[in-house]
This record gives sequence, C-alpha cells and structure tokens, in this order.
Amino acid sequence: MSEVQTVDNMITIKIDGTEFKVKEGEFILNAARANDVFIPAICYLTRCSPTLACRICLVEADGKQVYACNAKVKEGMDVTTDTPNILEERRAIMEVYDVNHPLQCGVCDKSGECELQNYTLELAVDSQSYMIPDTKRETVNWSSVLHYDPGLCIVCERCTTVCKDMIGDSAITTVKRGGAELDKGYKATMPKDAYSMWNKLQKSVIAPSNGTEFTNCSDCGECIAVCPVGALVSRDFVYTSNAWDLKRIPAVAAHSSDGAQIYYEVKPTSIENRADKIFRITNEWSYVSLDGSARFAYDFENANVSKDEAAFSAALEAFKKAETLRFNSMITNEEAMMLQTLKEKTGLKLYNPEVRAFQKFLAHYEAASGNSLWTTDTDAMMKKSDFVISIGAALRNDSPALKHAFNNVQKLNKGAGLYFHPVGDTLIPGFGKNVEIFNHKVGLEEAALYLVLDLFADKDKLPSDVKEYIESFKKSETKTIKEKEVKTVKEMVLNEETGEEEEVSKKVTEMVEKEITVMTNGLVDLLGGDASKFDDVFAKMMKKKESFSMMLGEDLYFHDKAENIAKLVALVEATCDITVVMTPPKSNALGVALICDLDDDASGYTVGYNENGDFKLSALGIGDLDMPAMNQQEGTLTNIGKRVLPTNAALEYAGYELNDLMKALVGAPEETIDWTAMLPVDRGFKAVEFDSLPNAFTNQGVDNRGYTLETNNVEADLPEVEKFDESLVLEGEIAYRCNPARQFNDFTDKSHEIFETFALYASVEKAETLGDKVEVVFENGSITLDVVADEKILGDIVKVPDFRAAEDVYGLFGESRYQIVTLRKV
Amino acid sequence: METTLAGHVVENLPQVTATGVIIKAVIILAVLSALAGFGTFIERKVLAFMQRRLGPMHVGPYGLLQIAADGIKLFTKEDIIPQNANKLIFMIAPIITAATAFIALSAVPVFPDFTIPEFIPLLGGTFVPSIASDLNVGLLFVLGMMAAGLYGPLLAGMSQSNKWGIIGAARTAIQFLSYEVVTGLSILAPIMLVGSLSFVDFNDYQAGGIGSWLIWQQPVAFILFLIAGFAETNRTPFDLLEHEAEIVSGYATEYSGMRWGMFFIGEYANMITVAIIASVVFLGGYDAEGALGWLFIMLKIAFFFFLMLWVRASWPHIRPDQLMWLCWKVLMPIAMINIVITALVILI
Amino acid sequence: MSLEQFKNRNVGTQNYKTLDVGTKPEKGMAQFVQVVQRTFKGELFVGLGVTMKAMLKALFANDMATIQYPFEKLPISPRYRAIHEMLILLESGNYRCIGCGLCEKICISNCISMDTRYDEAQRKEVSEYTINFGRCIFCGYCAEVCPELAIVHGPRYENASEQRAGFSLFEDMLTPIDKLNLQQEYDGFGAVSPNADENIKQTPLAY
Repeated sequence: MSEVQTVDNMITIKIDGTEFKVKEGEFILNAARANDVFIPAICYLTRCSPTLACRICLVEADGKQVYACNAKVKEGMDVTTDTPNILEERRAIMEVYDVNHPLQCGVCDKSGECELQNYTLELAVDSQSYMIPDTKRETVNWSSVLHYDPGLCIVCERCTTVCKDMIGDSAITTVKRGGAELDKGYKATMPKDAYSMWNKLQKSVIAPSNGTEFTNCSDCGECIAVCPVGALVSRDFVYTSNAWDLKRIPAVAAHSSDGAQIYYEVKPTSIENRADKIFRITNEWSYVSLDGSARFAYDFENANVSKDEAAFSAALEAFKKAETLRFNSMITNEEAMMLQTLKEKTGLKLYNPEVRAFQKFLAHYEAASGNSLWTTDTDAMMKKSDFVISIGAALRNDSPALKHAFNNVQKLNKGAGLYFHPVGDTLIPGFGKNVEIFNHKVGLEEAALYLVLDLFADKDKLPSDVKEYIESFKKSETKTIKEKEVKTVKEMVLNEETGEEEEVSKKVTEMVEKEITVMTNGLVDLLGGDASKFDDVFAKMMKKKESFSMMLGEDLYFHDKAENIAKLVALVEATCDITVVMTPPKSNALGVALICDLDDDASGYTVGYNENGDFKLSALGIGDLDMPAMNQQEGTLTNIGKRVLPTNAALEYAGYELNDLMKALVGAPEETIDWTAMLPVDRGFKAVEFDSLPNAFTNQGVDNRGYTLETNNVEADLPEVEKFDESLVLEGEIAYRCNPARQFNDFTDKSHEIFETFALYASVEKAETLGDKVEVVFENGSITLDVVADEKILGDIVKVPDFRAAEDVYGLFGESRYQIVTLRKV
Repeated sequence: METTLAGHVVENLPQVTATGVIIKAVIILAVLSALAGFGTFIERKVLAFMQRRLGPMHVGPYGLLQIAADGIKLFTKEDIIPQNANKLIFMIAPIITAATAFIALSAVPVFPDFTIPEFIPLLGGTFVPSIASDLNVGLLFVLGMMAAGLYGPLLAGMSQSNKWGIIGAARTAIQFLSYEVVTGLSILAPIMLVGSLSFVDFNDYQAGGIGSWLIWQQPVAFILFLIAGFAETNRTPFDLLEHEAEIVSGYATEYSGMRWGMFFIGEYANMITVAIIASVVFLGGYDAEGALGWLFIMLKIAFFFFLMLWVRASWPHIRPDQLMWLCWKVLMPIAMINIVITALVILI
Repeated sequence: MSLEQFKNRNVGTQNYKTLDVGTKPEKGMAQFVQVVQRTFKGELFVGLGVTMKAMLKALFANDMATIQYPFEKLPISPRYRAIHEMLILLESGNYRCIGCGLCEKICISNCISMDTRYDEAQRKEVSEYTINFGRCIFCGYCAEVCPELAIVHGPRYENASEQRAGFSLFEDMLTPIDKLNLQQEYDGFGAVSPNADENIKQTPLAY
C-alpha cells in the first residue's frame, strides 16, 4: 500500500476511555473505524468529502459535540461516543428517518442489507414520535441502468457525493421536494440536530443535475452501490432477488486494467434452471469504486459448454500447424505463462498488438529510468497527491481508475490538474476549478512533457541542452496593460441623525495604465493554451501544493516517438518531484507484458485466442474450441496498481481449458492455478500458491488483495532526450482508436447491460456533418460504422472503437492510436 | 307310520329315496357354506355395533357383499404349503374340519321336508327330507362327528412344522377331549328323561308348549352344555386354539387361501350345529306346526348364534390352565351330580 | 431434580398399581366357593349388558363412533399443519404474497423457492413459486414468518400423489378465484394474536 504508517505521523487519542494510536489529520470516524470502534454513520463515505446530511455520527470530543466525519483528531483528544444527549439525538434522527418510510421491506431489494434497517434495529427504534404528511414521489428511471424510488430515499446524499467526489460525473444532485413544512412545535421539543436534519431531509430529493429526467452520465452504477436503502437499484436487478439469497464470489473486474475488487453475486437462475447465474456485481464501495464495465458487464460467460473431443483434437492439430498465436490482454497471468511456455518449447510466435506497444514502452522506460515499473498507483494518488498531470490518456474511456483518481484529487485534496489530450472531453472541466486543459494537436505529447519539465523540474538537475531547448520557447514581451487600482479617499460627510460631520473613508477604484514585461511560454501556445494568462493561472494552481503525480496513457505507447517519450518521462521523474503512473491498455495487459515475449508480427497459420485466426479458441462461444470466460476461471490478474490479484470462478464451466491443451501439447500441471507459483520471479512475481493469496481490504481501507509486484529501482544516468519534431503533427480528418466508456472488449459487448454500440463516436457538431453512417477509410483498409453523437466529446476528432476483435481495428490503426482518415458518407 | 319333526303323524308319507337324500345333502352343503360366510358378516357387524363401529360398509349395501368379496379373495389367494410341512396331512386337515362339520349336520333337522314339484324335469316328485339321515341315534352321531372334528385342527397344527401350530394342536387335543366329557355328561340327563337319542323324540317330548321345554327340567344341563358348546366350537372365551395374542393363529398359522377358509366354514358350521342341538334338545325344537315352527326354531338358532357373538364382544378369554380347571374341577363334577340327581328323580 | 429415578434401570415395574382383587384362595373348596360367588354375582351379565347397551345406542341413538373417512372428514384444528395454501386478497383478488422471500429463507428443509420480477405495474410480482413437498417437513415456519398471512397451512392432509410435483405449484396452492368466498382466515401458526392491538403502540399520523 501507498502510505506506510510511521511513528512520526501517529498520535494518541482516547475513545470511550481506551487509548488508540491514530494517524494525524484523520477524521475521528476514520480513526475509530481503523481501530474497530463503531460509531454510527450513514452519510459519510470513506474516500469522499463529509456531507453532514445524517448527523448521526455525533460524538463528544474534548467536551464539545462534533461530527466524527468532519472533525479531525488531535493529540490527546478525548472522544466519547455515547453521552445521553448524543443517544437522544441519534434516536431522534433514526425516528425521523423512519417517518413515512414505506413499510415495504418485504419487497424491497435492499432488505437484509439495508442500513436503515440496521440502524433502526441498532438504535432500538420501536416507536415513533414524529409525523408529517407524506409527499407523493414517483419511481423514475434515470438511465438505462439506474432505477430511483424517491419514496425509499432518505436523502443521505451518498449517491451525489460519490458521483461528484469519486466518479467525477456530478450527474445527480439534491433538488426541492415540495414536501410539507415541519410543524414549528417540533423545533422546541425535538433534539436540535435531529430537527435540522429533518428540516433539510423534508425539503429535498435526488434528481439528475442536468435538469432533465435523465442523468446522461457514464452509467457506472456507483450510486447504486453506495445507496444505504433501496432507493437506487439497477434496473435489471429490481425485484429479482433478495440480498441473502445471493452467494458472493470475490473476484477482480476483468475488463479495464483497474483490477477493481468485485463480488459476483450468484444464485440459481430460476426454479426450473438450477444452474447458477450472476445477478449483480457488488463491491467494497468504501475502498474501491467501479466503472460501468466492472459493474454491469458480468454475464459474458461461455454457457452450456461441454467437452467437445473432436474440437479438442482439431485444436491440437491446429497448434501443431501453427506458427503464430494471436491473443489479447483478456487472459489471466497463468494463461499468459502457459503461452510463454508454449513459445519457449515450440517456438510459437506470440502476437498481441494490444500489449506489444505497451511492453516496448515499458522496456524503454526501464532502460531510461532504471525503474522496472512506474512509481505510484491510483490509491496512493488519491490519498496523497494534490497535483495531477494527465498526458496521453482519454481518462473517461481508457482507465476509470485514473479518472476517479484525477477527480478525487481535485475534490478531496483541494488539488489542481493539467490535462493534455487532443480530444476534448466535457467531463474534465467539471473535475475542479483548478484543472487546466490542453487540447493539443495530435503528436505533440513530447511537447507536453517538455512543458512539464519546464514547470516542475529542478533546473539545476536538468541537462544543459534540455534547459536551453526549453528556454528557446520563451519570449519576453513588454506590454501595456490596464490595471485596476484601489485607492482610499477620505471625505467629510454630514451625519443625518446626529447632525454632526464625520470623517468617512471610501474606496475608489481607478484604472491605471502600466507597462510590464511578460514572459510568454511558446510551449503553452503550441499546446493550445493561452500563454499570456497561463503564468497567473499556474501560480494560483501551485498554491500549497506538495505532492505531484503524472498519469500516462495509451496514446504514448502507440506513438511514433514512444522511445523518446519514455526517456522524457524518465527525465521528468529524475528531475521533478513527480511520481508517475501508467495505465496498462486493457485488462491484464501488464501481466501479459511482463510474462510473454511478444513478437512484432504474425505470420503463417495463426491460432486466435479470442481473436481472429485460422483456428479460433474462444471464450465467447463463437470459436472452433470453447474456452472459459473470465468469470468461469480462477487465476490472477495484474493491474494498474502493480498488484497480482486473485479472481475466482463464479459460474460452472464444463469444457476444455487452455491448461488441457497445454497438457496434451507440452505437459502441464494438473490445474490452471498450479501455474500461479510458476510466474516469472525475475519480472517481479512471487512464487506463491494461488490458494494462499489474501483477497480483502483491511478496516483502514488498505488493499490487501494478492501481492504487489516486486519492482527494482536502479539509479540510472539522466537519459538523452531528443527534441520533438513539430512536423509529425497530424493535420486533417483524424480518427482516434478509443472505446466508449463502458466497452473494453468482446466480453463487455456480450453483456446485456452494456448498451454502447460499435460505432463511430463524434462530437455533436461533427456528427451532424457526418450523417447516419460513414465509411472510415484508412491507408490499409476501411470500416463502415454508424455515427453516434456523443455529447461528451468536443472537437473534430472522431473515435473508432476497437472492442470487437473480429473487426481488427488494431490492424487498421497499426502502430499509432491516431490516423488520418477519410470519412465517406454512406 | 312315519313321524315328522313337526310333531305329528302323517299318513302316506312319501318314500325317502337316495336321490332325495343326495339333494338334501347338496342343499345343506350349499346353504350352510353360504350361511357360514354370512355368519362371518354378521359376526363382524355385531362386534362392530357393540364397539360403536359400523363394520363392513363399502362392498354392496351396508357391506352385504363383503362375503362375496372375501370369498373371491379366499378362492384366488395363493395356496401356500410350507417347505417342511407334511404336505399330504397339511392339505387334508382343513378338509377333515369342514367334512366332519357337515357330516354332523346330516343328522340334525335342517329346513322342512318338501317334494320337488312335478313340472321340474328329471327330479320332479322327489321327496327331500328335513333330516338327511334320520338316525335313531342322531344325537350320538352328531356328538361323535363333532368329536371327530378334533382331527382337523390337531393334524393341521402338527403337520405344518410351526411352533405356534404345535401349540395350537396340543391345545386342540386337551380342549376338545376335555369338553367332550362335559358335553356328553351334560346331555346325558335330558337323554335319560326322554329315553331316546333321536332328535324327533326330543322334539316330541317337548311338544307341550314352553312349559314343557327341557330347559326348565334341566337348567344345569343346559348351562353346562352351552359352556361346553363354546369350548367345542372354539369360541371366546375359550378360543385358545388359535388365540392370536398368544400363538399367532394356532393350528391355522401357516394356512392361507381356501384351506384356511375351510377351517372357517367348519367353525361356523359347528356353531350352527351346536345352536340347533341346543334349540332342539333344550328349547323345545319346533313349537308349532309348519312354517311357524320353522320360524321359531330359526329364531332360537339365531339367538344362540347371536349369543356366541355377544359373548365374544363382552368377555375376555381365559388361560388354558383355568380352562382345564373349569372343566375337570367344576363342570364335570356338576354334570355328574346333575346326572345322579336326575336319575334319582326318575327312579322316585 | 435428582437422577435417582433414572438410576433404577428396572424399567416398567416401578409404577404398577395393584388392583384390589383379594387373595387367591388356597383350598379347593374355597376356590369353588369363589367361583360360585362370582358366578352368581352376575358380573358376567353386567359385561353382556354393557355391550348390548352400546350396540343399541350405536344403532338407534346415533352414537356411532366411526367416521367413514374418505366420505366424511373430521374438522381439523387450525393449528394443524397440512399442505400449504396461498391466500389471496378478498377485495382485489390479487395474491397476498408479496415475494419477500422470508419463507424461502426460513425454510429449514430448504424446499421453498420462488422467482420474482418487476412487473408492468412497477410492483414485485411472484412469477413462480414452488414448495417441494417431498422435502417439506411441515414445521410451519413459513406460515409463521409470513408478514402477509399469505402462505398458511390448509386442512388438506391427504398428501398421497402419483407424482412428486403434486400440489407443489403456486396455482395449485392458490385459492381458486371462484372459491374466494369460501376462503377462511387462518388462525393457526403465525396468525395475529387476539390481543395484538394491546401489544403495539400506534404510530402518529399526520392525516
């Protein structure tokens, strides 16, 4: 985990007479939770800002009543959690929550895991003292996945908080309910906090923040996860199962490289069909947030498969014939290890364009920096960083974890951010006021890194040629500007009441002309910013900032100058106080990159594993031999946090696995998970048995799943970096290989709750000019796609998704993520 | 001169022919077999009523066809002969019981005599007598035949290679032999009074109305005969031969189907025989002329039959030692005394 | 409680009560006298009288104990736990069952299962419901836990069936709509106690 608890930052406080060592600067509530002390709290979310909606976490600290969720611990603080007054307040608050709450627990989806139920019982609310006429509130569907029943809502605002502070969509907010006024008599008779909480509750309800009936958000469903009652439920899940009927299978979200912790919740499909079915995905929402693919793309299993011996022997024949095996990152570390073994023993080529560029980039980075892997992770960033820079990542689409981290830093750490990307995204400005966005031209990623060097580098450490190169972009100009100046003028005024004259000071603003010398940074202008204003803006951004992080995305790996970029990144790390995180392109790309020696091209007879090929192994059920899908197999995945995470099989699979092929081809251990301990130790893996891997978070929120990869950081000389070449900038009609937010691969596409289609995504204006359907013509081929107008895209660049392996979009784009194309209306 | 059972002399009485006797025998066999079945029905019904139950109800109206159902069941049931049984004797034993019971009936009056009408071909005009074989030692014959019936249960029990059967057979021997003595001695006194062993003579002796019934002259003999009759017919409270609570089913343990049914028929035929003897010997027989006389005797027989059922419903059965004690130490001495007293009275 | 009484393993002899039958006469004459006394006391005839009286009463005073079972049935106690019935609402004819799944959860032989769905009227609808009577032990927990008194134990105790599936379908257990008027309120397991009103405090209402 990121932050080690050292003796320095630990202080001692007393809770209910017991002394605890807690982290300095933490909220009382979190400190108590970390030490297994229970303080009731409904509205507080661990990694979000305190809402103060429920007021039930009331405690007495050093004799004063405070809210545990927003009061920080101090050395020697004495906290009491249950004074008579606090208990009275809590009881009143729970009674208020129960006023007019429908007594329909019998049908409510949340029954059994409902926090309102739990706290009502915990605080022994057995009678009701308050009343108010109810307001009619209709059930609504906010989006294709969100189902909101305001009648059940207790307006704890957890959903709005998580959407704002963690997800970054800010898609929902509290609006006026139009309910009856509270009886004024209660003000005198009720406990104070309970009254004010009720007053607020009675007036509000949750609604989409864009003023329409629909949220138009990224449909991640995190609001569903955090809802303490049954108000927010997935539309697909409504009334289909009781919480207690579902069996939880701890697993790892398979699609993005976040490796988010999830539980597959399964129970028999129906009375007739007793085979297990995944009904929903839940997560430890206090410690991890899911994106839409993790939460809703779960039913991609390869169903009704049996052992097809003919297909199996055909597969063996195919492997004997094959020169190349083409695969993608949707495989476990164990399977990657099998393929690598196959390569070592039979000389089979391993072709994986998705990961190859990333693997090369990592190698360049290691050579230049001496670090075998990047230096931070998203959790550490959220805990610590207050300045984030994102380069080359379509945050919303590529890496939900990075998007959450970027947003969370702005919201919770009062942070600032720089966002460099050619494609405009309406969501990024919403992350915070201190986010500066550079929609630069395609190909200028190196310039962005040079700007970072300019802004953050310790100039003494920079090599002189780099320093000179950077300075060469700066011009000093003398400008005449008008400035407002405030002057104080004293006047004598007759006081009308007393009739005396008094001296009164008045402030008067005057416009003054001044001549100043301005240094303009040519890099800023080059990257599409406003150099004249940037210095002031940046100065404001840098106020009170201590910890800096940089996120690097897939654009950099698929770049003509990837090697130079890797060196620049190394230089940034060496000369600036910036930690770096890179997003593996998809799923288990990092694991594949570490385990497999990938080849640059395919040749001859090709076996495709979930990819095109002459013989297809497929977990989608469309190939020549069936393979288990990710929710049907055990194994480990390597994620952006550099962790090796165990995932479990949620559903039955009766067919052949890759390990069976391995056994027949070159010999293999009995089970797939026997490979876990055989993963390459020299690449950072550990020789640990699968069954001994832990799979949980601690009470402090420390990710304790699996193990962290060993990384070695060797001191390296500063890399020699090249200047960037402006002539490489792409001009014209540009297509960007980028998936819609919840789509990553064929498996997300197969899932019935993922609705984003395989189409050309363009900004609304661009889509108007394109019509309904276009043919996208590349140098080496073309593809015909429907046009989808995406309100969240700005600018002229169009996005072509790659999540369907059969369409071979990687082949069209080649080594770059951006290509100049011709768009022909069809 | 022929004397009929109706107690008067009829001139020109038709000749008893072999054909008539055979027809009579067939009638006795058919009717009494059926009556035995009907007896089971009546027994079940009466026992049920006395225990506030309904008894058989479902086959036919009020369960009347239950007899047919049982009959069909018995006829169609598998006839099992145990492996180690003496097969011949095992198979013959039930026939002995049934045969002796029916042979005994050949000497007692059953139904009035009649002549088959002329219009019936072949048998027209044949006279069918009331008693198939009107022996002048009828009573002795009947008692003798009933005593011979002892061989049925005895052989059945001994042949079947079953411990319950053996016990049942042993009990048969002691019970039947013992009570044979009481029967004989108790009925000796009336015989002494009447001076004949013929049923006709007994009937004539009591022709003077209810006052002339022998029961008034010989109450002790009547009671002794009745008790002995219960024992001889293996009825509660003396049903030790096949008492199911002790010896499963005694001599009939291994029997099934119609062979078992023959024991049953034999038992019911014996019950009827004893009822007829008691009616004729002690209760005046046919009191009146013709049909009315027949009705009376039917009622008397029915009463005795009912009494057997009634007793079964009311009384517990006794232990074998009590049975012997009762026979040899109580009943036989009383019977002896009764005979002596009767003899003295006749002499005086 | 001491364990003394359990330590005596001579089971069955402890609690016999001896009837006062007098002493058995030793001498033959005394025995004979006893027989004569008993005989003339008429005890045997009392026995005959009892049975005769019983028969006459049974036949003529309608004092017959027999119930002709398949055609006549004794009324069943409301606490009897036979085959389940699913009651419906008298006013609307809708199922009382709201699909809360408590019966499914509490069932100790794990024989109840249900499928629910979100219906057109935005309500939870029980699309399928089944009880495996091959497994059910008729403990009555489902009826006791049901918050709507929807699943109750009916009086139908004849469980013999040609197939295991017999009675197990929701439709079979449901009160037929044409027999709605015959639906009886259940006062067996889990029913509202007669003094329920006294045991609850009324919630204040604003209207």
